Amino acid sequence: MNNILKLKKITSAWILAILLLFVLAISFGITMRFNQANDIKLSPVTFYSLMTTHGVTMVGIWVVAGMMAVNYLLSRYVKVSNGLNLFAMALTVIGVVMLWLTTFVGHYHTGWTFLYPLPFYTAWEKWATPVFLLSLGVLGIGWFVWSVGMLWQILKRYSLPQAFAWQHFKKGHTVETPPFILITTVTLVGVIACLLTAVLLLILYFAEYFSKGTFTNDALLMKNLTYFFGHTIINEALYLGVATLYELLPEVSGRPKFKMTWYVAVAWNCTLLFVLTAFFHHLYMDFAQPQSFQIIGQVASYFASLPSASVTAFSVIVLIYKNPVKWSLTNLLFVVGVAGWLIGGIGAVIDATISNNFVLHNTLWVPAHFHTYNAMGNVLFSLAFFNWAAKDFQGIASPLRYDKTKIFWLMVGGFGFVLMFYIGGAYSIPRRYAEYPNEFTNAKLLASAGAWFAIIYLWAIIVILFNIVMKCIKMFSVSE
Amino acid sequence: MNTHSTILLLFLSLAFIIAVVFITVYRSSKRKEETGGMINVNKKRLTFLLVLASLAIILLSVTLPDSPYYLYANETPSKVVFVGAQQFNFNMAYQAIDPKKPITEAIELPANKMVEFRVTSFDVNHDFAIYNDKAELIAQTQAMPGYVNMLRWKFYKPGTYNILCLEFCGVAHAVMRASFTVN
Ligand code: HEM
Ligand SMILES: [Cu+2]
Repeated sequence: MNNILKLKKITSAWILAILLLFVLAISFGITMRFNQANDIKLSPVTFYSLMTTHGVTMVGIWVVAGMMAVNYLLSRYVKVSNGLNLFAMALTVIGVVMLWLTTFVGHYHTGWTFLYPLPFYTAWEKWATPVFLLSLGVLGIGWFVWSVGMLWQILKRYSLPQAFAWQHFKKGHTVETPPFILITTVTLVGVIACLLTAVLLLILYFAEYFSKGTFTNDALLMKNLTYFFGHTIINEALYLGVATLYELLPEVSGRPKFKMTWYVAVAWNCTLLFVLTAFFHHLYMDFAQPQSFQIIGQVASYFASLPSASVTAFSVIVLIYKNPVKWSLTNLLFVVGVAGWLIGGIGAVIDATISNNFVLHNTLWVPAHFHTYNAMGNVLFSLAFFNWAAKDFQGIASPLRYDKTKIFWLMVGGFGFVLMFYIGGAYSIPRRYAEYPNEFTNAKLLASAGAWFAIIYLWAIIVILFNIVMKCIKMFSVSE
Repeated sequence: MNTHSTILLLFLSLAFIIAVVFITVYRSSKRKEETGGMINVNKKRLTFLLVLASLAIILLSVTLPDSPYYLYANETPSKVVFVGAQQFNFNMAYQAIDPKKPITEAIELPANKMVEFRVTSFDVNHDFAIYNDKAELIAQTQAMPGYVNMLRWKFYKPGTYNILCLEFCGVAHAVMRASFTVN
């Protein structure tokens, strides 16, 4: 079998696995929301196990969705290793199975952020804590090796300054760095940095676990490490999606390719810097944290969104505005995704303002904004890639009908779902409450409405998936 | 209008603007030839980025001084309340609390005078969040083991205030609460 065919098969397998987990994880989310509405009744342990499963699974699948999409497109520029791709897939499957065992069999439920020292206050099976931490280790190793492998291949073709597009800062360069290569490089460096932090975090956890009480960790340090890892990984997942957008959006729209310019180069180099310090905004309410970090957190949060989001939005808008564009499901998904990303980004910047965070932190405003840029942003970038790839596999376009209708219902469901969270946040309703206290008179109604909107979203997703899934399944019977 | 409604309104207006921009751009995209986006693109882009960057700098300089760390920094609190959170209740007292023998006292605070909460945790992370009688979140700080977070606040309205936990701390997180009165 030739390499490209193999890559297509691996990518099909990824898409099928991701979509399966996605549909299951959405169903867990809907179940949680109905429980918060009091429409169904779960025990708190079940609720929080579901919440933990939903959170880690969602973050995990959109990281790998970005990684495997970038891997697929990278094969246009450099040699990529199918072996590493498969290795990462194997470890991802093992990691996810371990994780689900801990939550569904072991009732493990620390939430996806597993803030130290909660994992040691076992209100679940004793084995679940080490297995949960190990499952993160397994996922982390797979993704780490994969990222390093891809970066290595990039650096074999481009020199380090070229991969970062530094030559574009000055006039008169000879080598062009495609935007896709720059964004991928910047993102992979970020992924590697946060996975290394995760390793450190796990070492500290296991050191305490095995020391039998002779060594204890520092809660503030652990929280900083946890959020450096958690914040960074989900942001980098988004940037992987953006990389695919830069590569594919012009192409499928029948527009000229995006060109590297000095400001795109500057923007993404700045992003690398800011995204690594923006995580401080998760610790604003820890008044014991050095104040300089808090200030850096707000400044970095403002400037992290400026170059990447606004430059991307600008580029996308001028690409389309008053220009002839061939619309299809793929580019509709990309463009709606950019709008969702920006709207979620505004919710994020509002929350990343310390004086607002004082009254928004850990209210439903938090799931509101991150669901916006995930469910209506990054997920749509990945779905756009899936849709494009499914066609690319066989070189045939299926008749595209009702695309606008599908997108319309996806938007109704998705934005309706997150709007209920935003309103909940504005009513000061806490996040991560299995059941709402009575003084929040609107909470149950909002939860119920949110769940129904999410059902519309899920339905639109299933309709969109259908074609993709059929084409991916067919891939397995293709031989040379 | 309270802070929360202002924030929601601000957010919804900005989201609306983004929606209008995208719809306009989308509807303009069915032409036969290029007439728009790319013309004068360098100038447009520079203006756009400069406007956004200046906006960010203005917003930063307006909002940063409002951060809760600087609240009443140069005043002496009229009362100090010690808070030791643990799964799943808040111990509150007028003197430091011994984690081995936690006590909790009924807390009454004076209106219109600055008070200080010294908040820590005896086990996992919690969050000490103060809600007024309209269930509006008015102030908060994290409760972290090994650290004391100092929150200074002035209550203008007498009445009962509720404390809810705002950091996920385990199975009874949603029912972990306490209250105090202001008069
Ligand atoms: C329509 C689909 C979805 C539904 C119905 C849904 C539902 C929910 C609900 C009800 C919660 C708990 C909210 C609370 O704190 O009270 C939650 C949390 C969360 N969701 Fe979703 N969600 C969806 C899509 C997504 C997507 C696409 C992501 C992608 C990253 C995601 C990531 C998360 C994360 C990370 C959490 C936090 C878990 C934790 O607190 O430990 N969700 N979701
Ligand atoms: Cu608590």
